[in-house]
Amino acid sequence: MTNTALDRAVRVAGARVAAALAARYRDLDLAEDGFAEACARAAEVWPRDGTPDDPAAWLYRTADRAVLDALRRRRTRARLVPEPPPPEPTVEDLMADDINLIPDERLRLIFVCCHPAVAPDARAALTLRLVCGLTTIEIARAFLVAEPTLAQRLTRAKRKIAEAGVPFEIPGPEAWPERLDAVLATLEIAYAKAHEDAAGAGPHAGYAEEMLELTRVLAELLPREPEALALAAIVRYAEARRPARLDGDGAMVPLSDQDPTAWRRPLIDAAQRYLRQAAALDGGGRRCRQAALHGLWCARRSLAEPPPWGRVLALYDEALRALGDDPVLRLNRAVALAEVAGPQAALDQVMLLDADRFASFAPYHAVRADLLRRTGRTEDARAAYAAVLALGPAPAERLWLERRLAGLENCAILAG
Amino acid sequence: MLYALLIYEDETIYGPNKSGPAMDAIRARHMALVQELGPVRIGGNGLKATATATTVRTEHGTVSLHDGPYAESKEQLGGFYLIDVPDLDAALAIARKVPISRDGAVEVRPVIPTPPQ
Repeated sequence: MTNTALDRAVRVAGARVAAALAARYRDLDLAEDGFAEACARAAEVWPRDGTPDDPAAWLYRTADRAVLDALRRRRTRARLVPEPPPPEPTVEDLMADDINLIPDERLRLIFVCCHPAVAPDARAALTLRLVCGLTTIEIARAFLVAEPTLAQRLTRAKRKIAEAGVPFEIPGPEAWPERLDAVLATLEIAYAKAHEDAAGAGPHAGYAEEMLELTRVLAELLPREPEALALAAIVRYAEARRPARLDGDGAMVPLSDQDPTAWRRPLIDAAQRYLRQAAALDGGGRRCRQAALHGLWCARRSLAEPPPWGRVLALYDEALRALGDDPVLRLNRAVALAEVAGPQAALDQVMLLDADRFASFAPYHAVRADLLRRTGRTEDARAAYAAVLALGPAPAERLWLERRLAGLENCAILAG
Repeated sequence: MLYALLIYEDETIYGPNKSGPAMDAIRARHMALVQELGPVRIGGNGLKATATATTVRTEHGTVSLHDGPYAESKEQLGGFYLIDVPDLDAALAIARKVPISRDGAVEVRPVIPTPPQ
């Protein structure tokens, strides 16, 4: 038996084992240390004695004993009285377990990690660490921070949870909407990191998979929460389009130019199911509306089919009516309006937005640049492209923008 | 767990020496909360205005006295509750109920337990 078996077991069941331990002992550090010790023991024992029938259950049982040992040592230190060592588990002990005996405490742990008492910049990292089992290095890469910085952030968050007395409970009905929103917002931030990397070849290649899993778990645990279902749908729609997001040169391909035949159908089908389930409950939330927009696009079967701009525009109009005036919604609406009513009508709408507020919001400058270009304001378009490039877009976007800017120069030469 | 709920408000709304009508109104609301909390509330009081504060400061081993509060700020520590509840969520639920006249904040701080004698 090799370390591969251990790797697989840890991937598959690690989070669940660690979550069960954390919920049982209400101590994240104890749980993590116990789990690490179990993994170390497995690396030592499995190659010699063979992989147990249920590796996850073995890890759980061994980690549980390690935690109990640590607690015993802690008590002994406190009282300064030696205690007899714990009995060694027998082979039968370790083999008899069954993964179904491990309680699924991941939801509880998600609520702990995303508690409003935890610093916002630590919530997503903590969730990925404890619920998805990502390593500190993996998370640090995803968030583009140095590993020691991230490790410190995690340590501080765990200490806050322990010291402030954050409960290891799923919140009650009175706090539910606020707390669920904190969870969903955290997962959105985490997913945005995976989505940014259009090629999926960066340091978070496997990370998008984790987000699919995490949103699936959440939807499964909360089948009556439309916004949780909608988030599961959104992540699937977005991941489905991943193979079509870049062209041969690595430049981004706008949604309306993406070849729908390259999209991953099974993921779209799964997303549609979540969306239907959410809409049947209440499709009026922000995430449900966002999922519905994705749904419109992903219903397209080929480039020969006209893009659904008219219906996209109608959805934005509806959202603005229902959710109230929102500048980002209006900016997105303008993109659809340009296709339905022409770029000038859209530009008129964009001009009404508060430019100062959007000064460092790249999509604002990108939309403006495109509309200015299409209405022949070459000078202004050039300045807008420069503004968005100055904000340091992702490489794929930069390539695409630079191409547009170069096209602008060529037109200017032809015209002149 | 023991938690201190520290109440920060702009004390000027309570009039000079915190004796205006706003003070009577908020006092009544505090008394109602005290009633509601019963034995959960271990202690706590309102504090007189910062104008009445004297600060004993130690710097490099030297102690000096100053007129006024520890920190001058837009909102001042105006009172506190000491409560005994199972966890942070329970403390936060009570903190939400602490009356605030206009704008203000309630800081929830776990209390270091006294070691057994």
